[in-house]
Amino acid sequence: MKFRGKIVDVACLNHFTRVVTTISKLTKTCVLRLNPDNLFFVLSGKVANGGVSMWCELSQANFFDEYQMEGVSPENNEICLELAPENLSRALKTIQNAKSVKVKLTKKHCPCLTVCAELPTLSSISRVVTHDVPVDVIPKRLWHEFKEPSVPDYDVSIYLPPLKTIKNVVDRMKNLSNFLVIEANMNGEMNLKIETDLVSVTTYFKDLGNPPWGDGASQDGGPTQSRDPDSMAEARVDVRKLQQFLVGQQVNPSKSMCSEFICTSSTSVTKVSPKAGGACPSLHPRYRPSECPPPDSAA
Amino acid sequence: MESVLEQSVAANPELFCPAVFGRAVHALSRVGDELWLDPTVKGLALRSVNSAQSAYACFIFSPLFFQQYSFMGCVPKQSSKTVKCKLLMKSLLPLFRCLTSIERNVECCQISVSASSDWVIIQFFCRHGITKTHNLRFQEKEALQAEFASHLCTNVLKAPARLLGDMVMHFPVFQEEITLSATPLRFSLRNYEESGESQVKMMYTEMSLHPEEFEYFHVDVNSEITFCLKELRGFLSFTESHCLPVLVHFDSAGKPVCFSVEDTLFEASVVLATLIESKSTDSIQPVGIQVHATSRYVDAAALRVHACEGHGETGRERITSSQGSTVSPQPDPIPPLPQTQQANKESISVNTSPASSMVCTLLFKALSSEHDDNVCAATPPVLAGYSDEEMMEEFCPKSPSL
Repeated sequence: MKFRGKIVDVACLNHFTRVVTTISKLTKTCVLRLNPDNLFFVLSGKVANGGVSMWCELSQANFFDEYQMEGVSPENNEICLELAPENLSRALKTIQNAKSVKVKLTKKHCPCLTVCAELPTLSSISRVVTHDVPVDVIPKRLWHEFKEPSVPDYDVSIYLPPLKTIKNVVDRMKNLSNFLVIEANMNGEMNLKIETDLVSVTTYFKDLGNPPWGDGASQDGGPTQSRDPDSMAEARVDVRKLQQFLVGQQVNPSKSMCSEFICTSSTSVTKVSPKAGGACPSLHPRYRPSECPPPDSAA
Repeated sequence: MESVLEQSVAANPELFCPAVFGRAVHALSRVGDELWLDPTVKGLALRSVNSAQSAYACFIFSPLFFQQYSFMGCVPKQSSKTVKCKLLMKSLLPLFRCLTSIERNVECCQISVSASSDWVIIQFFCRHGITKTHNLRFQEKEALQAEFASHLCTNVLKAPARLLGDMVMHFPVFQEEITLSATPLRFSLRNYEESGESQVKMMYTEMSLHPEEFEYFHVDVNSEITFCLKELRGFLSFTESHCLPVLVHFDSAGKPVCFSVEDTLFEASVVLATLIESKSTDSIQPVGIQVHATSRYVDAAALRVHACEGHGETGRERITSSQGSTVSPQPDPIPPLPQTQQANKESISVNTSPASSMVCTLLFKALSSEHDDNVCAATPPVLAGYSDEEMMEEFCPKSPSL
């Protein structure tokens, strides 16, 4: 198993760092999957009850100038590692002005992802910083847990307003209740609601726009055409998890979408952000509420 | 006996004196919980030492730093000519907490020390006619002083102002200890973790650079020293804010390392103990910093010899003039650790004498070089090594009287 990548462009390095930092805010450990074309950061969904799962896909060509890997075997040309994104984020944050950054899989005191940066200096010889991020190699028999998730047919998909706005609203609502209901329809309307014994608060968003069928999410499925555009699909989520997601966002998406489906009562927040010069990393954190919304909210 | 000292610090716009003073206090607060204020004819010294006695910092402001420096000593009863005050850092630091507001508002700062009343009076004369007066009670103590003969160090480096700061920035803020490694061709820093289970999953960081980056690079002896990073960071932020190059004096592992800066108006240094052996697991002996009376080096050396034999009785012998330290490693029989701990525990428990009789001075091997070589060979440096902080705390409970 070998992996060696090199980032030379400052903007690429910066973007990569921000993606990793965003992920580090969401979770303490995650899985890094490498194949010849992509890198994936995966948080496998232990989402039975109000948990978070995450899938982040990065096209390696958008970040790395050099990228060589040899997977576990020729038939399974992939590497699967478990690491703490916080370590990787720390390693990357201090080397933003590097002339070049090499990332390689090494074996030191344990398997490590070694980040080796050459920093510019006034003299002819550069400074070298090396960070060894410990990783765990995930055996092939467990790879099925980290597959690309399939998004079920969703009922409603809507573009979100600027995440800062939502974050402000959610921050205030967090003080009042633990659970928040997100409802949206195919008419570009979205509401965020909380309800307690004493008070109920609703924030209304209009004219948000709905993504066309099958756009953004790279999986099959799309909103059911027969749905009444005015009827709201509703999902109840844990406010703190939602806030965690919003707080960590450093990637400045150009588009973020929220897709809801009634049947399995889950909300998927999909972000799509273009990178200068290429395709988008897509980050799909997914939140499952711990309770199903009442059945009468279905169309 | 009275000795009154008055010093005034004017907020000279070019020098921003009170802020500089404040920054020194900040740097010292990162080292220890107590600050020794030591006015002398030569200048005002501020010193601090950490509780494990593995880090010592000293800032000396010359009289030129002050707009007015009046020092009235008096006939001494004993050898001390001046009052030596020990202040709690948590009383002093809040006065200088917000440096930007000090720079903006404080026109003059006056510090007065009066032995008769046990008060240090700090007055800030601010804009708009506002005067803030702070009275801090001090404890009279013997001077805290570490002697470090930097001219005897084999390795000397002079780093430009930002270099060291740029290097340590790559290490996480919570990183406690760091290993510096120097050869004539290479200089590197890496983080240090105690051996143990946690070692396996730690993130390791190493930063290396070429000697060309230093203003002066003289490494005679390849060395690898491990010392506390936390205490150094405070010092480095002080030096960076003044764009001063930093001199580093060090030797082999076990001997202290000294970082110092010099300016026309002040000098500052921080001395850190280093681990006897950087990477060894078994052979790390808990070596404390031995604290001795200022009076006579001979006694100190002799005591150290006795201490190394590690008997319970000699442990008690050390009580009179030392505190909280353990046996230095010897090639010859080294007392087993538990015994040593016990000996020290005894010595410490007996040694909780009132503050005034405690003497706090750190001596380094350099001084003992005045004595016969045997002693030198037999007695490793005083401020030589320090064990893991935990081990230190096991047998060196923080003595409040220090």
